[in-house]
Amino acid sequence: MKDQIGGNQKRARFQALCQSLRPDLLRFAFWLSRDRALAEDVVQETMLRAWKAQDSLLDETAAKPWFLTIIRREYARSFERKRFVTVDVDELVAREEPMLAAAEEQNLAEMRAALFKLPDEYREPLVLQVLMGYSTAEIARELDLSSAAVLTRLFRARKQLRALCGEDTSMDPQE
Amino acid sequence: MMDCAHYRRSMLADPHDPDPLLREHRATCHDCNLYGERLLRFESRLERALRVALPPDAVRPAAKVVPLRSPASRRRWLAMAASVLMALAVAGGVWLSAPGPSLAADVVSHMREEPQAWRRTDVPVPNSMLEDVLRDSHLRLATGAGAGIVSYANSCGFRGHQVPHLVIQTDSGPVTVMVLVHERSPKPVQFDEQGYRGVIVPVAGHGSLAVLTRGPATDIKTIEEIARRVLDSIVWTG
Repeated sequence: MKDQIGGNQKRARFQALCQSLRPDLLRFAFWLSRDRALAEDVVQETMLRAWKAQDSLLDETAAKPWFLTIIRREYARSFERKRFVTVDVDELVAREEPMLAAAEEQNLAEMRAALFKLPDEYREPLVLQVLMGYSTAEIARELDLSSAAVLTRLFRARKQLRALCGEDTSMDPQE
Repeated sequence: MMDCAHYRRSMLADPHDPDPLLREHRATCHDCNLYGERLLRFESRLERALRVALPPDAVRPAAKVVPLRSPASRRRWLAMAASVLMALAVAGGVWLSAPGPSLAADVVSHMREEPQAWRRTDVPVPNSMLEDVLRDSHLRLATGAGAGIVSYANSCGFRGHQVPHLVIQTDSGPVTVMVLVHERSPKPVQFDEQGYRGVIVPVAGHGSLAVLTRGPATDIKTIEEIARRVLDSIVWTG
């Protein structure tokens, strides 16, 4: 009986954790995949895998990176399964238009369309840094890169993004 | 000595980089100071752009968004979803029975929306941006007072109102402040939920103020002291 209560409490705690992280995870998956439906599928699969592997999460404060790692793996799996070959960015932008344009400001919609156009290798570290609050070292660990490589990608990501958004880049440095 | 190209490259890689060499360069170079301010405005827009609004059904419990799959997979999902709903019901019951915690719950829930705000940094938000955020709530912060550098300022939707959400860099690390002029709190409330610890203090005639830290490192007495210093630095303009 005592074990059952302990198990229920543990399960409830884990479920509450999943629920509280779900918005962040959905946003991360969306920017990773640029596809809302795929993002929802990936997050659902992630929750299922996390549920099965919950005993391996020893520290609750490390839950977010733990989930993000599962999401990245799950996204890679979906990519392998579906055998995507080419990506037409304009088509992606048009398909996700309702979500991208659901902004209170026109310039946010433009920024979102520009983010869709960033290469994956620049968009992903940028999302980890800005949206998920990762440090350079944490991004390097997650993406299996050196810190210098992460900083270079972040530099290029912002430089390209600023140009795509029509910002004044006359003061931007050259590489 | 850092040159302008190095400064701008570093800022493009991480506009909140706390490197003291960057701060020194910014203080002595007018063009780079201007460049840094523009970049922080761009960064604020980028942060908001990345926080896409999620459709309501996407943030409900898993049961609401489970696609039709194989029967075995469906059964697993339904079992999980039932547990989730039961857990939420139990948690809701406990929550409602405690005195006045729902405002704290909403504040904590909001924190999860903006994790990037918690960075340790010594780069202040531009004054003009801070003033824009505070203006609608009819307040400003007194110059030279307060608990530390304001490194983040955003006007956030909270319970149907736009409210200032600030992060202040204190000796105890980053501290979040939400100025809740529309939320009355009859007495001070302490909370320690989901990894966030903080206080909500009533402010006579101006709703309440929420001050919180992330993680267990800062004790509640310190947070109360920070809240007092923040309150002392607020100048109400309306």
